[in-house]
Amino acid sequence: MHDWNQLGPGLEHARAVTRRHFFRAGGLGFGAIALDALLARDGRTADVPPATANRLAARPPMIPAKATRVIYIHLAGSPSQIDLFERKPELAKVSGRDCPQSFLEGKRFAFIKGVPKMLGSQFAYRQQGETGQWLSELLPHFAGVVDKTCVIRTVHTDQFNHAPAQLFVQTGTPRLGNASLGSWVTYGLGSENENLPGFVVLLSGGKTPDAGKSLWGAGFLPSVYQGVQCRTTGDPVLYLGDPPGIDRGLRRRMLDALAEMNAAEHAATGDPETLTRIAQYELGYRMQMAVPEVMDLSREPRHVLELYGARPGAVSEAERTTTADVRTLYKGSDPTFANNCLLARRLIEHGVRFVQLYDWGWDHHGSSPGESIDETLPIKCLQTDRAVAGLLTDLEQRGLLEETLVVWGGEFGRTPMLQNNVNSEPKKGFVGRDHHPFAFTMWLAGGGIKPGLAWGQTDEFGYYPVENPVSIRELQATILHLFGLDPLRFSFPYQGLDQRLIGPTNEGRPVTGILA
Amino acid sequence: MRSGRPLWISSLVAGVAAATAGAAEPIRYGRDVLPILSAKCFACHGPDEEGRQADLRLDLEETAKADRDAGPAILSGRPDESLLLERITSPDPDLVMPPGDSHKPLTAEQVSLLRRWIAEGAAWGRHWSFEPVVRPELPAAPRGAAIRSPIDAFVAARLAEHGLSLQPPADPHTLLRRLSLDLIGLPPSPEAAAAFAADPSAAAYEQQVDALLEAPQFGEHWARMWLDLARYADTKGYEKDLGRTMWPYRDWVVEAINADLPLDRFTEEQLAGDLLPDAARQQLVATAFHRNTMSNDEGGTDDEEFRVAAVKDRIDTTVQVWMGLTMGCAKCHTHKYDPISHHDYYAFYALFNQTEDADRSDDAPRLDLVSAEQQAEWDRLRSAYESAAAAVKAGEQESQPESETPAAGDQLAAVREREATAKKRLQEFESGLVRLPVMRELPADKRRVTRIHNRGNFLDPGAEVEPAVLAAFGGLPDGASPNRLGVARWLTSPDNPLTPRVWANRIWARLFGTGIVETEEDFGALGSPPSHPELLDWLAADYRDGGWSLKRLIKTIVISDTYRQRSDVTPALVAADPRNLLLSRGSRFRLPAETIRDQALAVSGLLSVKMGGPPVMPPQPAGLWRSTYNTKTWVDATGEDRFRRGLYTYLKRTTPYPSFTTFDAGSGEICQIRRIRTNTPLQALVVLNDPVYLEAAGALAGRMATDAAGRPLTDPAAIAARGLALALIRPLRADEADPLVRLERDARSRFAADPDAADALIAAASAAVPAGVPSAELAARVVVASAILNLDEFLTRN
Repeated sequence: MHDWNQLGPGLEHARAVTRRHFFRAGGLGFGAIALDALLARDGRTADVPPATANRLAARPPMIPAKATRVIYIHLAGSPSQIDLFERKPELAKVSGRDCPQSFLEGKRFAFIKGVPKMLGSQFAYRQQGETGQWLSELLPHFAGVVDKTCVIRTVHTDQFNHAPAQLFVQTGTPRLGNASLGSWVTYGLGSENENLPGFVVLLSGGKTPDAGKSLWGAGFLPSVYQGVQCRTTGDPVLYLGDPPGIDRGLRRRMLDALAEMNAAEHAATGDPETLTRIAQYELGYRMQMAVPEVMDLSREPRHVLELYGARPGAVSEAERTTTADVRTLYKGSDPTFANNCLLARRLIEHGVRFVQLYDWGWDHHGSSPGESIDETLPIKCLQTDRAVAGLLTDLEQRGLLEETLVVWGGEFGRTPMLQNNVNSEPKKGFVGRDHHPFAFTMWLAGGGIKPGLAWGQTDEFGYYPVENPVSIRELQATILHLFGLDPLRFSFPYQGLDQRLIGPTNEGRPVTGILA
Repeated sequence: MRSGRPLWISSLVAGVAAATAGAAEPIRYGRDVLPILSAKCFACHGPDEEGRQADLRLDLEETAKADRDAGPAILSGRPDESLLLERITSPDPDLVMPPGDSHKPLTAEQVSLLRRWIAEGAAWGRHWSFEPVVRPELPAAPRGAAIRSPIDAFVAARLAEHGLSLQPPADPHTLLRRLSLDLIGLPPSPEAAAAFAADPSAAAYEQQVDALLEAPQFGEHWARMWLDLARYADTKGYEKDLGRTMWPYRDWVVEAINADLPLDRFTEEQLAGDLLPDAARQQLVATAFHRNTMSNDEGGTDDEEFRVAAVKDRIDTTVQVWMGLTMGCAKCHTHKYDPISHHDYYAFYALFNQTEDADRSDDAPRLDLVSAEQQAEWDRLRSAYESAAAAVKAGEQESQPESETPAAGDQLAAVREREATAKKRLQEFESGLVRLPVMRELPADKRRVTRIHNRGNFLDPGAEVEPAVLAAFGGLPDGASPNRLGVARWLTSPDNPLTPRVWANRIWARLFGTGIVETEEDFGALGSPPSHPELLDWLAADYRDGGWSLKRLIKTIVISDTYRQRSDVTPALVAADPRNLLLSRGSRFRLPAETIRDQALAVSGLLSVKMGGPPVMPPQPAGLWRSTYNTKTWVDATGEDRFRRGLYTYLKRTTPYPSFTTFDAGSGEICQIRRIRTNTPLQALVVLNDPVYLEAAGALAGRMATDAAGRPLTDPAAIAARGLALALIRPLRADEADPLVRLERDARSRFAADPDAADALIAAASAAVPAGVPSAELAARVVVASAILNLDEFLTRN
């Protein structure tokens, strides 16, 4: 009998929780004594089962777990695996020649029309690390940490448009309404810090990812499990800041008055929800302190900031502009992603269960220099490479990597063909690739993943997997498995079915070959 | 055990919630047996051929009792000779059913129930909700109980079984606030509450009910319920999430509910208004219901893929909203639990697969909602453009480049300029028009052929199917055509067993916080059983046979003693009925997102009562809207539009208004049958810090400084008490406002020491500064008002 199974819809009232438990689970710090005194006058309280099951309380896993936290870095738009991870000398040889019909027949592409030209990598490759993996020159920092990771070259999906493909990776279905991976994990395991949200989302690149907030929505799970977006400008959590003129002391005073009156209401009506309300106001108060603290990068020493390339307080060009011109969003040295990587470490260090980073700007079709492989991809790598390597190094140095799973990837890959927009030949600033769902690269590190591994192989053009293909469902199953959540059994009753992240079929099995 | 379905359901079913067979009472198939077979057996031995094991089908009596090589699975009256029982009790882990790797073991009680059922003759039946709705007999009133309404008869009878009885009614103030919040989503005025308290007679209560049902705000409040189901939003969804003009449909819903359009017509006009003979404009507006589906303007999408997705969404939404059934499974394979086959799904799909819309970027077809003057102006601009364009064409033909003279060239340039200007004017005019996406049937020569999508994949078409409604629930009513109009008539035909139950349950759930069937979204074999089956059927029959009137149904419910009970929770009641499933007391629940905001604006005097029209943008934190390839921005409204009801707040699907989603409102992306209530710290932060609540506190601070007669109050204690009474709308208990008085005193001394802080708060709260009131005092009042708006009692309907 596992605890999370106790959390079916509408179960608030089903759990009898003693007052003592309530104080522990709800974590009343404050005038708990004052409230206690108030409640002591109310002889009934101890007998009333309050609805105070703290849905975010930490819960043990179903099966032994390797990972307890995750940092998931999603590159929205999808980076080109051909130019970063997949060295393909045969592809280079045929670069510029017509794509074979066999690659095109029966396929739907987003933008490619007619017969495109094959397109080799635009960047040089070198062998890196003790394992000697081939990596593009665009990832000099990642080269230094590649031995800590498991690079999977054979991930495949069945979606080829951004919003549906992002939803598929993050929620297990290309349509809307399902719970996100972060919500599932938080539902399964709860949160280890009651002063912070269990599931935090950080955005960079100036835009919301294509599928919007549903990517971190709770779907059919109670909304308490939805991701909370923390922002680097304005309030770090919406409505976190007290209004002008109300300082901490006055807020505290006001909450004390509220608690006193709410406790009196509870004494009069006996409604256990009232006690939950009191506890949630106290938790909100503590979040007001805890969140800005954890979000404050200026507390980090200089050498750590440098490790990531983070710049506290820097507001990127992308945050300042409301223009839709993608070029202004891409250009310039934007530290937001690096800041987010460092924040991610700070958040998981403080017990946040799931930190999701979305970085926008990886959709390099070559329709303009602002969205091209040759001009934009190097900029995006500059913005992210050092930070990602810094994150892995930092996690390892702090002993956090062992239990922290780091995931890196887009929603699909990019074609080994040139996207024939207006040019049928590669032209400076217009070298682009279309969406490629059949094989692309992601990497995982830490949290029970075998380090120094390159998993799966694609054919000589990087078009299809030829060895160890990994489906999105298998990837999701692997992540759940690492958290000790059996992907086949981990479910939530909704619409008469036991809903699962991996969907109704049992195709999603953990990829055992990559487990440490 | 680990099936994902919590154990507590079984104990609940057997114990408190649903009526189940006691030791003496015979086993009933639909109520007792089918839930077990569905949950444990049908995945492999049910309707789905592809998943079927051992060629054994247990969902049909004929096959379950058929003789097999090893004997029949079920032999009526002979449990020991029934293979089913042998297998479910087998000690051999390789033989026992359900198999260990399914993680669905049967409990000892379930096994003994199945044994008893077979021993009693294994009588067959149907799932309870698929049986016809027949108005049940009223139970006899428990001894000594005065029964006001049929509802009370059912509820009191159940309570009596547990040694309980109905609670007395809530006090008049609480009752009127409850009624008002439930019916119009707004609190009563303190004066109305006082008048009702002076005469809380049954007749006076009924008058209040009638008045609230006739208030225009009734339609606004209940429209919100419907718009969740209709997945209403002001944008198209997906990546670009561009704006879309849907508000005329929202206004139609408000008007339809206010006019008490009966459910059959409400259904017909929304599903098929365009197919009605001589359809009126409003009936075409209604069809925008199914144009609320999302469309994907992302570059490089296959429009057919998203057209198909929209049609499937219409199927799923229709069946779920009216019949409480989940169709999703049958997209890919025959439903494993409910009688909906893969073929049935696409036959139903074929009924909806004949409309013109096709995920086009302009959302065609659209209905132009223009006035006569606008139409005249439009015609004028269009003909101006057309004649200018014709002139250009003529000019171009005349002046061939080789023969072109400078004069002719100048003339042509002038004509081209005139054309460009006319075109621009026309486009500007058109962009200001209200053009609503609607449903329109394809002409006869363009009808689509519908085929089954193998495994749900539209790129893998299978056999052709003819349009048909779901076979298990009867055919089309006499005279109905196999099209959307026929579907509407089938859904509301007197023979449909689900529509009246699902709807009665839905309305009940809005008024009690929880449905008689808690899983409002699932009336199928795996849904939760009704806590009061006969009551549900009585309500369903009364609703259907009483002309499908929503107002009548609501009145029937709220007039009952069951609804009017006091909601206090006592230890004895909790012990006897922990979740109030027996309705042993009035219900209490946190108000819905929009109502919380509307109520704060109402009691502070800020609320705008303006109805209808385009959506508005009350202040939200800057920088939230960052959709790709979409330049529309959120511009904080000024004036009255800051304070319109939540119903009118612009709903962008990928970035909904954040303070509403914090209180469990949806995004309008898909049909939301019910909002699961949560209680979180982020909710506290919204009511404490969202500027709208601060402005409400600022206004309440002003309002509470005068008494009911408008005379200014000066005593801080009187002011705090007045604020509290304005918000809670009830007389205060002695000393109840004391914590507020002490808060006011402390806040005032803090602000006196820090005048800048006082001024900052007053400015942020937009509080009016009355002459002669020191800012420290005013700021302290704002703090008190804000505390009042955050009280649990204020956020709760009790």
